[in-house]
Amino acid sequence: MSRTGNWLAAPVVLALIATCLVPMGVLFAYSFFQVDFVAINTDPTLKNYAKIIGSETYRSLIGRAFLSGAVVVAITAVIGYPVAWFVARRGGEWKSALLTLLLVPLYTGDMVRIFAWRVILGAEGVINRFAQWAGLITEPIQVLLFSPIASHLVLAYNFLPFMVMGLWLGYEALDDALVEAARDLGAPPVAVFRRVVLPMTLPGLIAGGMMVFVMVVGDYMTPQLLGGASGVTVISAINDLFGTAFDWPLGSAIACTLLALLGLFLAVAAYALSRMNLGRSLISGEA
Amino acid sequence: MNDGPGRAPLLRARALHKTYGTTHAVQGVDFRLMPESYVTLLGPSGCGKTSILRMIGGFEDVSSGMLELEGQPLNKVPAARRPINTVFQSYALFPHLSVAENVAFGLAYRDLGREAQRARVEQALAVVRMQDFAARRPRQLSGGQQQRVALARAIVNEPRLLLLDEPLSALDRRMRKDMQIELKDLQRRLGVTFLHVTHDQEEAFALSDWIVVMNRGQVEQQGAPQDIYRRPRSAYVADFIGGSNVIPGRITARQGEEARIETALGPVVAAAEESLRAGDAAALCVRPEQFGQAAGSAFEAVVTHVVFAGSGWHVELRAGQQELAAQFTEPPETGAALRLGFDPARVWIARAGEAVA
Repeated sequence: MSRTGNWLAAPVVLALIATCLVPMGVLFAYSFFQVDFVAINTDPTLKNYAKIIGSETYRSLIGRAFLSGAVVVAITAVIGYPVAWFVARRGGEWKSALLTLLLVPLYTGDMVRIFAWRVILGAEGVINRFAQWAGLITEPIQVLLFSPIASHLVLAYNFLPFMVMGLWLGYEALDDALVEAARDLGAPPVAVFRRVVLPMTLPGLIAGGMMVFVMVVGDYMTPQLLGGASGVTVISAINDLFGTAFDWPLGSAIACTLLALLGLFLAVAAYALSRMNLGRSLISGEA
Repeated sequence: MNDGPGRAPLLRARALHKTYGTTHAVQGVDFRLMPESYVTLLGPSGCGKTSILRMIGGFEDVSSGMLELEGQPLNKVPAARRPINTVFQSYALFPHLSVAENVAFGLAYRDLGREAQRARVEQALAVVRMQDFAARRPRQLSGGQQQRVALARAIVNEPRLLLLDEPLSALDRRMRKDMQIELKDLQRRLGVTFLHVTHDQEEAFALSDWIVVMNRGQVEQQGAPQDIYRRPRSAYVADFIGGSNVIPGRITARQGEEARIETALGPVVAAAEESLRAGDAAALCVRPEQFGQAAGSAFEAVVTHVVFAGSGWHVELRAGQQELAAQFTEPPETGAALRLGFDPARVWIARAGEAVA
């Protein structure tokens, strides 16, 4: 890299530092302060972190966020595998059209999608009205909306395209001859998937899963608007601490804790990926 | 050959068809595989030989016709339940598993204890002389070594029939010769029927008890290698198999084994394919080494190219409109006019037909 190149890259680096690292640094610094009535006491202390570790509420909120992430990753993986298979193996000349189509819901915006689901899941919604009309139920099913079922369903719907993208890449790297070889050697369909397709597409599953997981943990609009009583999440708690309680230091500490845990999670996933042959080839681009 | 009374074929294909959309890849193919034989499906790319192999392996549906294994219909049996294993062209070794795990893959679906499994894997690796590589990953092996592991992975399941899809095409020439000998040897020791797909006629001759020559989705000729080499039924087979000069002509008389053919090189009386009758279009087949500069020779030809070919000289000539290839021990002068001939007792008259594309 030439000297000129370094100078040309400098504005970008500066912009990144100013817009990304500095706010994070400020947030990180705040997590060691304390609120003193309405003023902020800048004597460094670890009390905020002690409070998080000692608080049943915050621990369970963080735990629930990670659990939600895992559940949505699982749901999107189960739905995503057949979709990714179809795009990769049956897409033919329509492959890029199918992939674009998959992304179309993302263009409509979160709120539109969330309210669309309210129309489908509500007590007067499409599902309940149809089930009543068909005589399957007499009373509308209330748990469809404003429940963990609703929020996880819609989270899965929102982030499914990211999982499909990852799995599709995995399928593109899978040689069909390996699947045929497994069948040839006597493996029934479930074993072909478990022993060949799953390990060979694992890098794609991990890549898609990481994206979905991080986005679910960070999402708070969906649980708040669809989750009902379960709508309180660690993100909404941070929002409340900054917005209404004016306890910026505690909010910062929770945010930093969450960030550290996510970072740890990503590091473990990246390590696992780098241990796999296919993962290495995906990361470094070597065949 | 091995079609004697009392021997039932291992596998039988009857009026086998394979259609992809509007493409007729296989058009009514019949053949039998006898037990413990080495059979080659030979033909250029696109002749339908791989489609046949994939239908027998269970990777493609049969469009119409029958496949029977030991008298039982095979069409509807899924690949996983056929007592048939395949050595794939690309080897298709599982990259995430070690050599031993690759070989053991199919044994998981049998009623075998852990110890018995390990013994079988060791034995199969020993057969292909790969026992020292059991812990390696496929990507750490050379092409020839991967080939051996693919063989071990197939034979460890003791299949009734082993399918080999162009198994030697990825190897260099030297390795290919060695592997040919090993394959033939392995087939004899195991007593398993091998069905080998190739476009290389030398490979087919080196390995086979029985050769099925394919052309455009149909069987052009099948038989023992010597029969096919000496008595190719059509100009296509003569050209593809022996690299024969195919000289078109017309039959003017037929008597017993022999016929008289009028060609650009003059009239010749020679052994002829049995269906040929007076008036039929036919082809005189003369292999390059059968031309000689003998006294009393039949025709004159002009040398157009001379190429050194190791064991001799490859010479291209022109006799009137007819181009010829010959093999000489001494190089002639380019442009020289030679008087050439051949022994009519050693040449052959085949049915006329298209040449190899």
